[in-house]
Amino acid sequence: MKVAIVTGAAKPDSIGHEVALRLLKEGMRVVVADLYEEGFAALKQCFCVRCDVSDPSSVEEMIGKAVKHFGRLDVLVNCVGGSWGITRRDLIAAPPLGFRGLTNCSLEEWSTIVAANLDSVFYVCRAAAPHLKKQGGAIVNVASIAARKGIPPGSEGSSGPYAVAKAGVMGLTRQLALELGEFGVRVNCVAPGVIASGRLKRVLQITKQDHGPEGSLKAIPMGRVGTVEECAALIVALCTDDTSYMTGVTVDVNGASYAA
Amino acid sequence: MPLEGLKGRKALVTGAASGIGAAIVDRLRREAVEVIATDIHPGYAMTVADLTDADDVEKLSAKVGTPDFLVNVAGGPVAPSREQTQPALPRGSLKLEEVDETQWSRVIAANLTTAFLVCREFAPRMKARKFGRIVNFASIAARRGSDRVGVHYAAAKGGIIGLTKTLALELGPHGITVNAIAPGFIRTPRIAAAGWGNATDAFIQALPLKRAGKPDDIAGVVAMLCSEAGGYVSGATIDVNGGWYFAP
Repeated sequence: MKVAIVTGAAKPDSIGHEVALRLLKEGMRVVVADLYEEGFAALKQCFCVRCDVSDPSSVEEMIGKAVKHFGRLDVLVNCVGGSWGITRRDLIAAPPLGFRGLTNCSLEEWSTIVAANLDSVFYVCRAAAPHLKKQGGAIVNVASIAARKGIPPGSEGSSGPYAVAKAGVMGLTRQLALELGEFGVRVNCVAPGVIASGRLKRVLQITKQDHGPEGSLKAIPMGRVGTVEECAALIVALCTDDTSYMTGVTVDVNGASYAA
Repeated sequence: MPLEGLKGRKALVTGAASGIGAAIVDRLRREAVEVIATDIHPGYAMTVADLTDADDVEKLSAKVGTPDFLVNVAGGPVAPSREQTQPALPRGSLKLEEVDETQWSRVIAANLTTAFLVCREFAPRMKARKFGRIVNFASIAARRGSDRVGVHYAAAKGGIIGLTKTLALELGPHGITVNAIAPGFIRTPRIAAAGWGNATDAFIQALPLKRAGKPDDIAGVVAMLCSEAGGYVSGATIDVNGGWYFAP
């Protein structure tokens, strides 16, 4: 039986949560790695491990527990992220008010946001790689449309450092695709636009109702935001043999908002 | 788990007689999709049509009705004709000065005009239903350029990417997604017959996944785009090339 780790899957209204449930339906055993322990009780079918993915020792410990518990690792989905950090408070709070670009963010904001969104993916992939290489498998990372378009000045609910970190995730995906290909490990990425997750709800608490962090929701050509289910289905497809010849690819899922 | 959203839908697959198109037909049928297969090359249960000819496209549309999925595979580096429906692929590289105006026009027609005519024919019906999935075929030749297939084919496939992005904007408000797949080196029977498969062992070993692609590798991505997983993906060109080339 294949074993998957999904980071950032404990919150019930998140993309990661839906990915974890769908990987279970695919017949995989699923490890959920998250700081949001309040969500663990509702994920009894999963092996839940508290993990701060921006801390390399916490990541090493989580991967060790997962492999010890299930004996192998086939799939890794890196869903943890956040445009305003992933501290305990950030897990449930609305984002801070005001535009945070690169020229007006604090150094602490830069470090926190890059740690949460880019360092975290590096740490988890590096710790998971030796186990994935044993029999092959798949990694899926989650970038963002912010990496494609940037965050326009005046926008709230996201940040410049987030856009930069997510662009880094795309580069990391390509580099790992080169390094892990010969071991049968495929590495791909999705770049979601506006998705109706809990994060969007919290962003909309502080913005005008028709404004997401990357601009007006009315400007989306498909005329709607994406669903968590659609985004999770795409991520799961990138974990399966349907995408057996794809590696190093970023798939944009944004309702035609941006065509790379 | 079968992919959600495929069972009971209707698909039109062009260029369906061999290779990638045939694999897509098989895959969608396995997912319980009703498939109408069309090609200029006759075959079992194949609706024969020359899709560079607007009259043929109109005749096809009378037979097809309204498809949920439109998969435009028809094309190739050598344009077929009604007389020669499956021309051999060139064994060597085609240089700029070897492409005459007739070849240029015919390859553009076979790869780009076909997709335009078929989209123009079926998109209004999809709009009326507020649902549709269109999958076009670009190529790695449009992403990185090509040192083999000729400038006409690469240009036509680049045109497919522009057509795809534009239709994604235009048809998005009507619930229709439009995407392209850009295959890398896929070892189809016709490509193997041209000797491309044998000449490239060193090339294959240099690919991150260390193998040539199979038609089924592409069919899986088509199924994904037509399924629930493709519901919010539109305007994208998806590279399926084993890591050969990383487009933006």
